[in-house]
Amino acid sequence: MTIDELSASLADAHRDRTPVTIVGGDTLRGMGRPPLADAIPLSVRGLDAIVEDAPADLTIAVQGGVTLRALAQTLARHGTQVPFDAPLPGEATVGGTLAAGWLGPRRHLYGRPRDVAIGSTIVLADGTVARAGGMVVKNVSGYDMSRLYIGSFGTLGVLARINLKTIAAPERTRLFAIRLPEHTRARAFAVLASLRVVPAAAWWVQGYKAQIDGDDGAEGRMLVFLECSDAVLEGATRELRSALGRAGVPETRVIDTGTRESFERAIDAYVANVGERSITYRMHGFVDEAEARALGAIALARQFELRADTIVDAMNGDVILRVSDLDARALGAKIEMFDDALHDLAPSAFVIAGAHPSRALLQVWGAAPAALERMRALKARFDPHGILNPGRFVGGL
Amino acid sequence: MLHERLIDALGADAVKTAPEDLAVYAFDAYTTGRLPAAVVLPRSTQEVSAAVRIARDCGEPIVPRGAGTGLCGGAVPTEGGVVISFARMNRVLAFDPARRRARVQPGLINLDLSRHVAASGLFYAPDPSSQKISTIGGNVATNAGGPHCLSYGTTVNHVLGLEVVDERGDVFHTDVDELGYDLTAALVGSEGTLGIVTAAWVRLMRVPEAVRVWLATFPDVESASDAVSAIVAAGIVPTALEMMDRIAAQAVEAAFHAGYPTDCGAVLLIENAGFEDDMNACESALARIARERGATSWRTARTQAERDALWAGRKGAAGAMGRISPNYYLQDVCVRRSTLPKALHAVDEIARTYGITVANVFHAGDGNLHPMLCYDKRDRTQVQAVIESGNEILRAAIALGGTVSGEHGIGFEKREAMTEVYSTADLATMARVRDVFDPARALNPEKIFPSGAACPEVKPQRP
Ligand SMILES: Cc1cc2nc3c(=O)[nH]c(=O)nc-3n(C[C@H](O)[C@H](O)[C@H](O)COP(=O)(O)OP(=O)(O)OC[C@H]3O[C@@H](n4cnc5c(N)ncnc54)[C@H](O)[C@@H]3O)c2cc1C
Repeated sequence: MTIDELSASLADAHRDRTPVTIVGGDTLRGMGRPPLADAIPLSVRGLDAIVEDAPADLTIAVQGGVTLRALAQTLARHGTQVPFDAPLPGEATVGGTLAAGWLGPRRHLYGRPRDVAIGSTIVLADGTVARAGGMVVKNVSGYDMSRLYIGSFGTLGVLARINLKTIAAPERTRLFAIRLPEHTRARAFAVLASLRVVPAAAWWVQGYKAQIDGDDGAEGRMLVFLECSDAVLEGATRELRSALGRAGVPETRVIDTGTRESFERAIDAYVANVGERSITYRMHGFVDEAEARALGAIALARQFELRADTIVDAMNGDVILRVSDLDARALGAKIEMFDDALHDLAPSAFVIAGAHPSRALLQVWGAAPAALERMRALKARFDPHGILNPGRFVGGL
Repeated sequence: MLHERLIDALGADAVKTAPEDLAVYAFDAYTTGRLPAAVVLPRSTQEVSAAVRIARDCGEPIVPRGAGTGLCGGAVPTEGGVVISFARMNRVLAFDPARRRARVQPGLINLDLSRHVAASGLFYAPDPSSQKISTIGGNVATNAGGPHCLSYGTTVNHVLGLEVVDERGDVFHTDVDELGYDLTAALVGSEGTLGIVTAAWVRLMRVPEAVRVWLATFPDVESASDAVSAIVAAGIVPTALEMMDRIAAQAVEAAFHAGYPTDCGAVLLIENAGFEDDMNACESALARIARERGATSWRTARTQAERDALWAGRKGAAGAMGRISPNYYLQDVCVRRSTLPKALHAVDEIARTYGITVANVFHAGDGNLHPMLCYDKRDRTQVQAVIESGNEILRAAIALGGTVSGEHGIGFEKREAMTEVYSTADLATMARVRDVFDPARALNPEKIFPSGAACPEVKPQRP
C-alpha cells in the first residue's frame, strides 16, 4: 500500500460516509469500544517502509505500519533505540502504538512516545495528506500536530509516517527478580523511590506466573530493570541489594542473560488474556499512591471472588489489574458489577485487554476528560462524517 | 467604551490607555508593531476572562504578553487590540517536591521557578538564554528551548497540564495524564493563537549528582561544527553542547570576562550531568572526537564559580553583542545535526555576499543555529541587507531539510516563510485546529499563519 492509496480509500469512505476501522498489528484490540459491525477494516500494515534512517542525526522516519520489532532491529544496528515498550513488538505497529497512546515503563527516564515524535504525515478522513514537523529535533513552526495525533486512537486521521528522535542504547542492562516475603512490600517500594541509580523500569508483580519471570513470595515479587554504563552497574547492583536487604528481602536474583526478552515478556503480560475469562484494566496516577491503588483494586476483586493478577509500575504509578474467573460464564455474571465498583474506586480505570464478550458492556475508557467538549469539536472538524473508528474512543470521540 | 468597561471590571490600576503607556507594548525584543487599544494587567484568571469578554464585545482582538522578550513579533499587536500582560500573575501557586511538580502562573519568570524549588534539590529544565526575564507563559506559548534542552527536551516535554482561557472568556483545563486528545501539546507552541494560558503544571527535575563543563577550541567554525556532528553521530548526547564563534567569544569576554578564549575560530561549551562514575569516560570520548576533528585545546572548568561564569557568558551573549554592533538581528533556524557544517558554511557565504558581519552563538547539539547579523539601523542599505540575508538563511536551512524556527517561533515576523516549509494542505490542517479554538481569529491574529491562508479550501492531494 502507498500513502496515496490510503488517501484514496479514505476519500472514498468519506464521500460515501462509510465507517472504517483502522487496524495496525491488532495487538491492542482489547482497548476501546468494539468497532461498529458495518465498519470496514482498513489495515495500515502495508505501509511498512523505513522511510529514512538517519543515525548521524539520531533520528529515523518510518511508516505507520512498521512493526516495533523492525524499528528496533534497524536501530540496533547503530546502537540506538526508541523506548516505546509496547506489548507484542513483533506484531505491534508504530502507528498503532502511537495512536493508542501506549505508555511504557521506561517513560520516567526517556519520556513518553509523544516526547520523541518530531514530525508526521497524517491522512485525514477526507483523504487530505498533511505533514507536520520534520526531521529536525527542535521545531517551532505552527501547531504541534504530530503530538495531537498521538493518543487520538485513530479518530483524527491515520498516521502514515512518523519521524522520531532516537537515543543511544545503554551499555549494560540487568534485571533483578526479587521475591517478597511477608511485611516487605511497602519497604521495597520505599527502596525503589530512593535509589541513587534510578531503575529504567521497576514493577511489583503478583501472579502472571505464565508470563513474567520470578517467583512470588508472600507479598508477590519485584522486577527491577537497570540500564546504565559499565562503570555504574556494579555499584548500582550493590546499592539495590543492600537496600533491599535492610528492608528484609533476603534474596535478589540477577538475570543477566535473556534480560531483554525477560523485560519484553513482562510488557507482553499487560495484554495477556486468560482465554475468554479475563478482563485487564489499567489505572494511572501518582507513583506514591500506586501501591495503595493496587491494594484497593485487589481487595475489591477479592470481594467479588475474582482472581486478581497485578503489575504495578513503581516508577510511573501505573496499575495493571487482570481479573479472571473459572470460566467465561462465571466472569460474565460478575464483571459488570465489578466494573461499576472499580470505577467508584478509580474513576479513570480503562480496559486494555479482554476477549470476554461482556467487554463491550463495560466502561472501557473510564471517566471522560475535562475538556471533552473541545475534543468533540476537534473531532467534528477533522472527521465531519465520523467515519474514523466511530464511537470507539473515550467519550464517543 | 472599551476603556471604561475594562476599568470597571479590573480597576483603574490594571488598565493602561494613555498613548505613552501603550507605546512600550508595541515592541518585543526585536519587532515593532502597532499601538494596542488598551493594555490590561489582570491579577487572576477571572480577570483574564473578564478582559477577554469585554475585548470581544468591543470587537477588539487579544494579544497575550509575557515579558516581551520574543524575537518574532508574537506579543506585538498588529491591528490595535487588547494586550493582556501577565506581569501581575507571577506566583508559584503550588509546589509538590515529593511529586516533583509545581503549578505556576504564566507571568512567573523562568529562573524564579528554579530558584523557588532549588532548596528541594530540584530545578525546572527548560532554560532559554532569556530565562532571567522571560516568563513561563511566554515559554509555553513558544515551546521555548535552551542550552540544556539538548538532553532534557524543550518546554513541551515539561508541561503536565494547563489552565486556559478561550476566545469567549471561558476557562478549560488540559492534563497530559487524561485520555483523549493531547490538547496540552496543541497549546504549547501555539503562540497565543489557541488560548490564553493562565496557569501551568510543570514537571521538575532532580539536580544531578555530578556536573562537568568543558571548553574545546577550534581553528574555525567548520571544524567545530564537524565535531558536533561527530559527537551526535557517536550517539553521545551531553546535557548541553553550545558553540560560539570568534566574534561572539570576543564580545562575551569583553562584557563578562567569563574565561572564553578569544584567539581561536570557535569554542564549544560542553556540559554533561549524571553520575560521577561516568564522567571520565564521557570526557575522554568527547575529547577524543574533538581532537580528531581538529580541536586545538581542551579544558575542564574546575570549580563551580568557573562553570557559572562560563554559563553566564553564554546566556548573556546576545546582550554582549551591543559592544560590537549598534543593532543585530538574531536569526533562528534548525537543521539536521549532520548538516551543521554545511549550514554554517552557507551562513558565512550569505554574510559575505551581503557584506554583513555575523556572529554565531547557538545550540549546536540540536542543530539550532542563531546567526546574529550585525547592522546599524540608521543605515537603510544595511537594514535592507540584513532583511535579505536573514531570508536567505531561512532558505538555506530549508534547502538542507531544516526548519524556519527552532525555538523562537513564527509570530508575525516569519509567517510568510511558513509556505516555504509547509504545503497548503499542511497549513489548512493546522487551521482546522484554529477553527475549533478560535473560529473568529480573535486570539493573536496575524501570527503564525501566512496572510491569505486563514481558511483555504483544500482538496485531497492526488498526485
Ligand atoms: C537575549 C535573548 C535570548 C533568548 N534566548 C532564547 C533561548 O535560548 N531559547 C528560546 O526558546 N528563546 C529565546 N529567546 C526568545 C524569547 O525569550 C522566548 O521566546 C520566550 O519564551 C518568550 O517569553 P516572554 O515571556 O518574553 O514572552 P513574550 O515575548 O511576551 O511572548 C511570546 C509569545 O507568547 C505569547 N504569550 C505570552 N504569554 C502567554 C500566555 N500566558 N498565554 C498565551 N500566549 C502567551 C505571546 O502572545 C507571544 O506570541 C531569547 C530572547 C532574547 C531577547
